[in-house]
Amino acid sequence: MQETSDIIEMDQIDHDRFRSWPFSQDFCLTCGLCSSSCPVSGIDGFDPRKLIRMVSLGLEDKVVEARWPWICTMCAKCEHVCPMEIDIPNVVRSIRGLRDREAVPGILHKGLAAALETGNNLRLPKEDFVFILEDVGEEIAEESGFEDFKVPVDKEGANILTTIHNKLVNTHTDDLKHWWKIFHVAKEDWTVPSDNWEGTNWGLFTGDDGAMKTMVGRIVENMEKLKIKNLLWPE
Amino acid sequence: MPDKNVLILGGGVAGLSAALELARFDISVELVEKTGFPGGHAIQFSCKATDKCVKCGACVAEEKLENVTENPKIRLMRNTCVEKVTKSDRFSVTFQTGPEYIDPDKCNGCGVCLEKCPSAGAVMQGFSKHHTPFYAICAEKCLFIKDGSCNVCQEACPEGAIRLDQKPGDYACEADAIIVATGFTGFDPKDKPYGYKVFPNVITNLEAERMLRQQDILLRPSDNKPAERIAFIQCVGSRDASLNHLWCSKICCGSSLRMARRIKARGPETEITFFYIDVQTFGSDFQGVYEDIREEFRMIRAIPGDIFRTDDDRLQMAFLDSNTREPAEEIFDLVVLSAGLTPGKDTEHLAGLLGAELADTGFFSSSRDGIFLAGAARGPMSIAESVASAGNAAWETVKYLSEK
Repeated sequence: MQETSDIIEMDQIDHDRFRSWPFSQDFCLTCGLCSSSCPVSGIDGFDPRKLIRMVSLGLEDKVVEARWPWICTMCAKCEHVCPMEIDIPNVVRSIRGLRDREAVPGILHKGLAAALETGNNLRLPKEDFVFILEDVGEEIAEESGFEDFKVPVDKEGANILTTIHNKLVNTHTDDLKHWWKIFHVAKEDWTVPSDNWEGTNWGLFTGDDGAMKTMVGRIVENMEKLKIKNLLWPE
Repeated sequence: MPDKNVLILGGGVAGLSAALELARFDISVELVEKTGFPGGHAIQFSCKATDKCVKCGACVAEEKLENVTENPKIRLMRNTCVEKVTKSDRFSVTFQTGPEYIDPDKCNGCGVCLEKCPSAGAVMQGFSKHHTPFYAICAEKCLFIKDGSCNVCQEACPEGAIRLDQKPGDYACEADAIIVATGFTGFDPKDKPYGYKVFPNVITNLEAERMLRQQDILLRPSDNKPAERIAFIQCVGSRDASLNHLWCSKICCGSSLRMARRIKARGPETEITFFYIDVQTFGSDFQGVYEDIREEFRMIRAIPGDIFRTDDDRLQMAFLDSNTREPAEEIFDLVVLSAGLTPGKDTEHLAGLLGAELADTGFFSSSRDGIFLAGAARGPMSIAESVASAGNAAWETVKYLSEK
């Protein structure tokens, strides 16, 4: 579909669904600033200008099938430079949302399914999660000045609830230490929930509003249950 | 109509043209210009002739200014700003007149003042041989006016033409009609991602025009070396909803491509790339010219993203190459931004004084009650269109005066 030589079947053009979108894609001047500024422009021929043009033309089947919307990192630089203020990342997200869920790229699809079932993208059991946190906590306590460090799990009434990006309890455990140490030195009153701790929300990236809402709702539930007013949500 | 007096605000090509038209009807004209250099933007533009005249109109402003200066029916006031307008039967208008620091009768245009001045921008240079005096003092930058600490130019002037201790004055006139010909302000692209005012070799189209008035090709401001690879970026500050500038500035495609052609004619080894959205070929002859132009330059149908300065002081630009359909990064010596035409800075203030209406764009919207509009005060216009618009405004004014 990346080939401009592809023949557009006119009876395939159905503008109705896209016309209801509030992203002003029909105002596109095709100036190309998005394509010139995009950090992934050119990967598999990805060209945001063409994508917006396809949406504007109503080529629904083609954009939904296309790989392009899944190459976009949704960094939003295009939106920042767009002279017509078109919310391109949201157009991309909405196109992703039109795909049959079974056809969502594998890792995102599986990760999201895991998160909805188990509360985290890795299907990490609660005991393992808590074990990893405590293990990292013990390593910190071996450092001078942090002898009394403990990871506060499920602490009711803490000042801040934090979520955890799944890679921090998988391959990047050392990255937990930096901010935990800052909390300790700053005498912050913080905690990590033992259930539904996942900080990445792949409902956002796959255009799945329902899943996104479920994930957000669980974080709110954690805050209510533990009577915590402030949330730190590092993705 | 020897008993009639018309006030024209703005001494650019539209104001000059309207003044000459009215003078033909024996109408007295007070032509008021806020700067020291009448002729507006048009008199700063370069001739775009290659091997023959391309009818860009840049010489028209020169000719009009010369004719205005010689015309006894027209009184041209420089450094003059409107202060108050009241209307009963006629318009009563008061002005503030800036000090004439340099005496036009004494100044011989030698330029010693500019050469000796220690404050950059304090002595300004005119654009035309019809600018007398050819120099002017910028009150915001002059050290004498700031704190009295310097009078080098006054001491150095061999003709004794400079007196820095003068104060502003007042002026008043009665007019039967007013023509507003206050023109436009060029968009300031400092907030666009091109490093304007950060990288000296990123300039605007108006700056390029001024440069080409004085020299054959474009030089890099950072080292005064000829720019061998030049990029023109169109539509900077035009057709931009984020700025509320939804209009096309109309003149930039024609003027940039003609500048590019002139550079190529005088410096055939110069490589020029033209980044555009779509080329707006306004004007009767431009479409034909454009056919040839497409062969001469690399035309890229995409507006570039960021510009960075390389270690050797060149400009690295990221863009989608519409010809190869691949993202590209290339090095240029000089980047010319086609900055759009926006409403004149004083437009809102002036509209308040005149009780005139502005369009949603911020330009003046329509003539009424003895106030007429000419030139780019109404919206982007070329020199030829401004002259035609001024002719039309003058004709409307004559009709109004004869019916009054």
